[in-house]
Amino acid sequence: MTPAWRRRLVFTRMGRWYTGLTIGIGLAATNTGNNLLFLVLGLLLASIIVSGILSEQSLRGVRVERRLPSVATAGQQALIGLQARNGKRRAPSFSLEIRERGGDVAGHGFLVLLPAGQSAEAAYRFVPQRRGLHRFEQIEVATRAPFGLFEKSRPMDAPAELVVFPRQVPPPPSTARTLARDGERPEDRIGLGLEVHSLRDHRPGEDARSIHWRSSARAGRLIGMDREQERRKRVCVVLDQRPLRGEVLERAVEHAAALVSRELDGGAEISLALAGAFLAAGSGEAHRHAALRLLALLEEGGDGLAAPEPDAEGSVLQVRE
Amino acid sequence: MPRAPRGPTLLQAQRWAGTLTSAFAFLACAVSGEMGPAMTALFPLAVAGSAVAGRRFHGRVQWAWTVLLAGALLVFGVQVLAGHIDIILAAALFAELLCIHRLWHRRTGRDELLLLLLALLLLCAGAALSAELTFGFAFLGFAVSGTWALALTHLRSAIEEGRGPAGSAALLNSRRVATPALLSGLAALSLFGIAGAALVFFIFPRVTIGGLRRASRPAPVAGLGDRVDLSRRGTIADDPRVALRVRLDPPPRGEPRDLAMHWRARSLSQWTGHGWRSPDGGIIPVMRLPRRARGGGVPSVLSADIEVIGQFTDGVVFTPEGWPLAIDFRRPGSPRPAARQLYRNAAGDLFYQPVDGGDVRYTVAADPDEPVPGGLRGRGQRYPSWVEADLAVPASLDARVRALAKRLGGGKDPADAAAAIERWLATALRYTRELPGDVADPIADFLFARRAGHCELFSSAMVLMLRSLGIPARNVTGYFGGRRTDAGYYAVRAGDAHSWVEVYFPDAGYFLFDPTPASARGSRQEGIGARMVLLWDSLQQTWRAFVVDYDLVSQTQAMRRIGQILHETGQRLAGRDGAKGRLRRVIAAVGAAVAAAAVIAWLRRLRLRARKAQERRELTADQRRAVALWRGARRLLRSAGVEIAVGTTPGELARIVPAAADIARAYAAARWGGAQLAPRVARAALRELDAGLQVAREHRP
Repeated sequence: MTPAWRRRLVFTRMGRWYTGLTIGIGLAATNTGNNLLFLVLGLLLASIIVSGILSEQSLRGVRVERRLPSVATAGQQALIGLQARNGKRRAPSFSLEIRERGGDVAGHGFLVLLPAGQSAEAAYRFVPQRRGLHRFEQIEVATRAPFGLFEKSRPMDAPAELVVFPRQVPPPPSTARTLARDGERPEDRIGLGLEVHSLRDHRPGEDARSIHWRSSARAGRLIGMDREQERRKRVCVVLDQRPLRGEVLERAVEHAAALVSRELDGGAEISLALAGAFLAAGSGEAHRHAALRLLALLEEGGDGLAAPEPDAEGSVLQVRE
Repeated sequence: MPRAPRGPTLLQAQRWAGTLTSAFAFLACAVSGEMGPAMTALFPLAVAGSAVAGRRFHGRVQWAWTVLLAGALLVFGVQVLAGHIDIILAAALFAELLCIHRLWHRRTGRDELLLLLLALLLLCAGAALSAELTFGFAFLGFAVSGTWALALTHLRSAIEEGRGPAGSAALLNSRRVATPALLSGLAALSLFGIAGAALVFFIFPRVTIGGLRRASRPAPVAGLGDRVDLSRRGTIADDPRVALRVRLDPPPRGEPRDLAMHWRARSLSQWTGHGWRSPDGGIIPVMRLPRRARGGGVPSVLSADIEVIGQFTDGVVFTPEGWPLAIDFRRPGSPRPAARQLYRNAAGDLFYQPVDGGDVRYTVAADPDEPVPGGLRGRGQRYPSWVEADLAVPASLDARVRALAKRLGGGKDPADAAAAIERWLATALRYTRELPGDVADPIADFLFARRAGHCELFSSAMVLMLRSLGIPARNVTGYFGGRRTDAGYYAVRAGDAHSWVEVYFPDAGYFLFDPTPASARGSRQEGIGARMVLLWDSLQQTWRAFVVDYDLVSQTQAMRRIGQILHETGQRLAGRDGAKGRLRRVIAAVGAAVAAAAVIAWLRRLRLRARKAQERRELTADQRRAVALWRGARRLLRSAGVEIAVGTTPGELARIVPAAADIARAYAAARWGGAQLAPRVARAALRELDAGLQVAREHRP
């Protein structure tokens, strides 16, 4: 854990000039013995001291939390919030720059003023360039207040992870290898499908749309019908990543993600078969996240992994190089 | 409906503060009076012009500015090489032009920062050019406005960098940032800066090399001439300017507001028909002053620390009433040899060399004990030859003057005759500052026609009357009086210029007689103007004493004094001075203060703890348990020899130490994901990890 007292101090450009001039004036004062130059030197040195005290005052008592987005996709802007709270009771904090330090993401937010005892949120946008795990290590709160001569910063441990989904690309033309019937499949039980499952007498109060008019005409009484339960389309996206490396693997992962999204958007249940991993069929947003997360974290190599095992009950969409 | 905030926008306030800072820096230079009227007038005109039309010129005709600045640099360089101006003045003038250029080209925060740096250079040039109190006021103004300018410029730059040009426009043009509260806070901050400057100024070691020190500026010498003309026209002006600053040791009894003291400058013995002039002859160096003939006993010594303002010196050394014993041009305690040497002329008047027109400070030790007139009686009228000049009676002297002198002092002892004439003049004639004009015989006109005149007529009449009786006497010029100031010295003003008489007594020397009515001697300035002059001089003197003249000697003395105070305090605390009752009170007071401070600190600590507890309570119970779980896991891992780097995420921890995967998951879910974490689950997870690590240790090869 980084101690709360740890500070980092760097000169700004103005600070370098200011310090250089201070040294120059100090030398001139010492050389000439001119007391008014000593007075000017005193003012400059006092400003440096005051600057140090006030910048410390600005940093002290400030706590920051990071707010990560629920979804981040490679190549698309993501908004990251930095919630700062000034824990001091009276003294406000000025000119705070809150930025990421270490980790995989660089970004910063700026607060002109953080009043005593209050919270404020700064945010920054970043565009992840790759899929996968993005690590956050520390948040650094920095200030150049009050004069912009020096930048004093305070690092705070704030470890977090963000899984960035693969880049969104158009899905490739699929080459389906049919293991079973494509499309929706009836089940031998009553449901809400389109196909007729069985006929029976019409029950009073039943919806008129359930009457099988042709049989009713033939039988001379109202005959009702039950429809078959229909199962959704079931697709298994298959990606064998073992031989793939680098850009080829990335393109394959992006295509797999595109297929997953397309099929889910089309109402299908999808399963995901990878070398060494399998995601059972499912649908909905949670399932989409699970599938994209699995693809996001897919790493190259893994020659020792077992070959993908496609879902036996669904259409197979094989992602090729 | 909420009222729209009034006042300047952040951008306006920042620009005004920058302009004000450069204006104060320029003022610090201008008060030296060395910049010349053209360059002095140029800056305010340029500031006004930049405020009105500066924006139209942003970034335009840049080539013209470059040519102008290069030309100015060339001209100043040539002037420096030709010896017309010194390099400091040339630097100040060029810095002024650079400031003006920047004032006309202010677009970005970088321009503003450059302007402030140039203003700082201008202030430094002012410090080298001027040591006046006005520099001090300009410095204070610079300190306050500079604080505004630096802070607001930083704020502007930070906003522009943090939000970009588009995002920052609204905030920069907001009237809610540079509020009176912010500006007041920054002004208060500048006071801390000024206090810090004073502290640094006080303790920074005054070890100087002394190279490239700028010489004092020569000033025209005026004031106490070697002639007096009694036939002038008009009215004597009561000039309130301070001519001498005097500190007496021991101070006068009761420290009166107005000092009744004659400050002797020089004697004028030769009558010109319309006035006096000093005797001919040169000056010779003086090693020791002549001793006074006295009956024995140790003389009492009055020490007068005299500072003469440059334009009132004319190379003359002023002495207080009494017999001068020694004159020292060195600063008290200074190891440096004196820069000036003492000289005297045939009449015994004292001078110093070299005369450079600057202020002069020296200490005169004098024996103030003068014999009463009775003590001067019976010394006869056998005078040495060297006082013949003081016996010369003009042939044209009006017979009525002789007759009057004879009537007042004829047949009397010279001491009684002098006292009688002095008394008659002071009581029978009237004092006026109106000059007689061009009259044939100013003394006869004064004594018998106008029967009124100024101090020179009183003293001249007495000298001629005494000489007509065969008593050597001479006219003496100098100052009379001195007004006490808040700075602890007596200010003798130019309006205190005075004239009196010295009468010679055998084996005793010259003694002072002053026939001018006592109520008419010295300055009568009492108005607001005169008081303001005195107040200003008092401030100026304090400025000089504590700032301009503060050197290694002063610093050593101050440090020694502090050491002495600490030593005395230590002695008292050790109970060695016998003042036990007072010491007990001091100890009791200090103890009470320490106890009170301890109680306050304890209460503050309690409040701090309560606040921190409050802040901890802002986490939910599950989040707090998650944090505790995370820390516990790290602790267990560390004790098992597994070092986890800073910034390791829960996911990474799970990959590095699979046994901690459950803990990492539970921590992430409860701390960040809003999931619940039961204490039982947390404890179980830690136990499980501990057991896993134990097994791993046992099976380690």
